[in-house]
Amino acid sequence: MVYQAGQRSLTALAGIDLVVRRGEFVSVIGPSGCGKSTLLRIVGGLQAPTRGRVEIDGGPPREAQRRKQIGFVFQDASLLPWRSVIENVRLPLEVNRQSGPRSSFDPSAALRAGSLRARPERSEGMSGNESARGEPLEPRTASVSDPERLVDLVGLGAFTGYYPHQLSGGMQQRVAIARSLVTAPTLLLMDEPFGALDEITRSAMRFELLRVWRAQAAGACTVLFVTHSIAEAVLLADRVVVLSPQPGRVVADLSVDLPRPRPEGIEFSPAFLEYTRRLRDALREGVPPELAEGSLV
Amino acid sequence: MTLPVAREREVALGEAPAPARPARRWSWAHELAVSVVPAAVAVSLALVAWEAWIELRDVKPYLMPAPSRVAERLAADPLFFAEEALHTLEGALLGFVVGAGVAFLLATLMAQARFIERSLFPLAILVKVTPIVAIGPLLTIWFGFGLLPKVFIAALIVFFPIMVNALVGFRSVNPNALALLESLAASRVEVFLKLRLPSSLPYVFAAFRVAVPMSVIGAVVAEWFSGDSGLGRVIYIANNNLDMATAFAGIFSLAFIGVGLFLLMTALERRFLFWHESTLDVR
Repeated sequence: MVYQAGQRSLTALAGIDLVVRRGEFVSVIGPSGCGKSTLLRIVGGLQAPTRGRVEIDGGPPREAQRRKQIGFVFQDASLLPWRSVIENVRLPLEVNRQSGPRSSFDPSAALRAGSLRARPERSEGMSGNESARGEPLEPRTASVSDPERLVDLVGLGAFTGYYPHQLSGGMQQRVAIARSLVTAPTLLLMDEPFGALDEITRSAMRFELLRVWRAQAAGACTVLFVTHSIAEAVLLADRVVVLSPQPGRVVADLSVDLPRPRPEGIEFSPAFLEYTRRLRDALREGVPPELAEGSLV
Repeated sequence: MTLPVAREREVALGEAPAPARPARRWSWAHELAVSVVPAAVAVSLALVAWEAWIELRDVKPYLMPAPSRVAERLAADPLFFAEEALHTLEGALLGFVVGAGVAFLLATLMAQARFIERSLFPLAILVKVTPIVAIGPLLTIWFGFGLLPKVFIAALIVFFPIMVNALVGFRSVNPNALALLESLAASRVEVFLKLRLPSSLPYVFAAFRVAVPMSVIGAVVAEWFSGDSGLGRVIYIANNNLDMATAFAGIFSLAFIGVGLFLLMTALERRFLFWHESTLDVR
């Protein structure tokens, strides 16, 4: 991804080659300005890459958009303030109504930015991930989830008629998560969704997200979760992708072999700490001094 | 589009956000008292001072009437002033509706593409910078006497602020909410109805607050030039006759209309903008 700014151009992402299995929870971690958000925007089809391409279930992001297979959660909840909780959750169902029930499932959400060639998903080495999840699930028949049930699921059953300004930041983010799941997406893109929350709420929300994801969509919904918290990345993900700063490129791709559901307190287990240590090292290596200032092409 | 409607929210009088209001829940009567009583006291004091000044300085009634005389004049012929007020109000409100309608239409068009904005906006500015009063006499020639010139001038006056604010409002959307709708392949119309239009309401209401009194001014100006009825006509004739009590009774009537419209706007704002920072009691 190359940005043009006057006569200079800034390469935000370069040569990202990433294949994500369906139902996989992938955390993307990297220092500020490494293009994590840009990556999500490209995958979500909000921005076209300068070179390369993205495939979601074998098709371009536009196609996934049309079928409402993409769920987005941003750092701010981005709720519509004039809509109540339940109305906000319903919003995705009210637009683009002609999108029928989805038909075919290719169990991969493959991403390619940069000029690298596509590779079939099956050939991708997925060592360490098979154990984290069972056989791929059968495609669900329903393409839409009940908004009321989702609001219940995120623990806001008593607040359906409330308006965003009456809710705390954590509650607003729960609404955003429910909203992102209401179309039963196959790909959930989360851009530092807990970044604006306080530490206590944040750690509660991590487990909450895992619980909701598991209850609602585990096995069927791939998550791409951008964060700059190492602990968050390890706690949530099956796999952590480490990006280097400008231009963002993959410097490490680490499988996290921790049991699911992840119990509270897992953050203090030796295995967990080992993963965080390895990620910290990878992040350090990813910032060679000549790149630390960013490279202007 | 389903317009948002506040539930369980009392319609309060006066300016919407009272500055340092305690978080306690006020009773309706209490809120009324808190917002109305200070204003009433201030207005009464002003009237008393005016009355005293006329009395003490012995100001001649053909220069300036005492408020008590104005009140007498109003009380003597309330139906006359009410009817003339209705004529003015009719012109002002019709003009407001027409002007706001055209403004919304143009703003919606301009929000679609920059090149439409670049072609229409200069025209709108041209209309805006032309002093409306200058074309007043023309209106008699074009539209004769009666309702039409009032509607025309009022519409012309309110059009610009509403159009500019609506346009800004349509563009002032939460970028992430926009991204969300795009990621769902929402159509332009859906984005407009679900996001842009409601997002514009705070801006549009701000424009309404300015435009509503302006529409009354427009109607009165039209009545001056070519009115066969209305408070503007009443004031104009009374002025010529040095009948200050009647002139001021007309002015007071206009003030009443202004206050009424202002309260109406506040109530509407409370109803449709209950979610916006400007109307939230406590932040």
